[in-house]
Amino acid sequence: MIHMKNVCKEYENGSVALHDINVDIEPGEFVFIVGPSGAGKSTFIRLLLREVLPSSGELYVNGKDVIDMPRSEVPYLRRELGVIFQDFRLLPEKTVAENVAFAMQVIEAPRRTMQHSVNSVLDIVGLRPKYRSFPSQLSGGEQQRVAIARAIVNKPSIVIADEPTGNLDPSTSWEIMDIFKRINAGGTTIVMATHDKNIVDTMKKRVIAIEGGRIVRDEAQGGYGYEA
Amino acid sequence: MKLNTFEYFLHETYLSLKRNSWMTVAAIGTVAVALFVFGMFLVIVMNTNRMADSLESQVEISVYLKDDISQSKIDEIGDKLREMQGLESVEYVSKEKAIEDFRERLGEQSYILTALGSDNPLPNAYKVKARVPSLVATAAKVIRQFDGVEEARYGQDVIQHLFDITRIARIIGVSIMAVLVCATLFIIYNTIRLTVFARRREVAIMKYVGATDWFIRWPFIMEGIVLGAVGGLIAAVFLRLAYRFVAKSITDALTFFPLIPESPFIYTIGFVVIVSGICMGALGSTLSLKRFLKA
Repeated sequence: MIHMKNVCKEYENGSVALHDINVDIEPGEFVFIVGPSGAGKSTFIRLLLREVLPSSGELYVNGKDVIDMPRSEVPYLRRELGVIFQDFRLLPEKTVAENVAFAMQVIEAPRRTMQHSVNSVLDIVGLRPKYRSFPSQLSGGEQQRVAIARAIVNKPSIVIADEPTGNLDPSTSWEIMDIFKRINAGGTTIVMATHDKNIVDTMKKRVIAIEGGRIVRDEAQGGYGYEA
Repeated sequence: MKLNTFEYFLHETYLSLKRNSWMTVAAIGTVAVALFVFGMFLVIVMNTNRMADSLESQVEISVYLKDDISQSKIDEIGDKLREMQGLESVEYVSKEKAIEDFRERLGEQSYILTALGSDNPLPNAYKVKARVPSLVATAAKVIRQFDGVEEARYGQDVIQHLFDITRIARIIGVSIMAVLVCATLFIIYNTIRLTVFARRREVAIMKYVGATDWFIRWPFIMEGIVLGAVGGLIAAVFLRLAYRFVAKSITDALTFFPLIPESPFIYTIGFVVIVSGICMGALGSTLSLKRFLKA
């Protein structure tokens, strides 16, 4: 599903963000990426999205060679990835349903399936009753659930989440994690960068720890490993 | 492009223009002014070109005869002209016929001629046509030597001056038009850049969920096209009004000035102006998106 071999990323200003990264993530896995701020977690995520290209090494996402990929192919790679951010990134002037439908509109999904797909993902995240609300009328947790609905509405094979619970209180965070568990149970691979010790320790999933641009730990049922 | 995608683009374009209505109005206004001046220079350049062309292709020599020669002398000159090589036609125009023609050409303003009373200052003349324009100068030189000929005139000396003028007009016109094209491009470029900036969050999300570059680009390009087209349309309407007004003043003052007739000329210019507006709109917005889409 994701294959990284000897991946290095050096930014144009000379700073080295990632060093000799070797990771294989299988379909259906649930993986936490942990590590101190500035350790390279964000770069790791950005590589998967092809926001940045590795300076060297091999990188395959969903069977596609990300490095050799022509620019015009990038949108089609991203359609197979659902992405979720700490700050939700919803469009404030669109309703919940419109925010979700937007993701389908821009990839020119057929209109007849749109209504159905939007309703079914809103059911998954439990926000169907609020489909006509605007983001400003929702709590942080609800906004993040809208963002998750938007990320999965196009049925991606991998969901990539960059600190999705970073702005949420613990109980709300668990609501979010429940949704992720359900999505993962449906066979979707999940890669989640996080600082949340409690979540990582409780979930008992694979943990990849990055420090100083290197992978220092990769455990099948790991814990957070840092003091919270 | 799918139909509902096209609808989506139209809707987005409309929303964007409406959302930034003051900016839209300002941009359309500036584009209209720039395209109006652009069209004006196009009109000027084309008119001077045509004037030069019409004078250049003139092969007619006016052979003015002295006033005090007899009818037989006049006929003799006519015969000599008809014998010359390289001439196509020779036509006698008596002074009575000449003033009658002039009166006709003046049309409504023929009252000017009443000031002359019964005097007719125009000479008897032969209108001679050369077979090709290049023969005109030589023929005139020969004819000037004929006994009883006062003067043989043709357009060439005027043409030389006019050529100089048209060349300068063309250079100035084209460079000003180039500047105006750049200005219009810049206005549209900037306007679209602002609207892209205003919608950068939306664009970022579109990229994350896998919209193609063209999908992202289209609404902005359409916005640029609308700015260019509406600006062009306004410019075209004003050009037509202005041409009518200027043409009328010129014909009132200089009856036989060879201005290009309004229709279809000014409509063609209007069409050109609108199409240029559309092209510049599309190009301007494409340029402004170039840097934005790269990341």
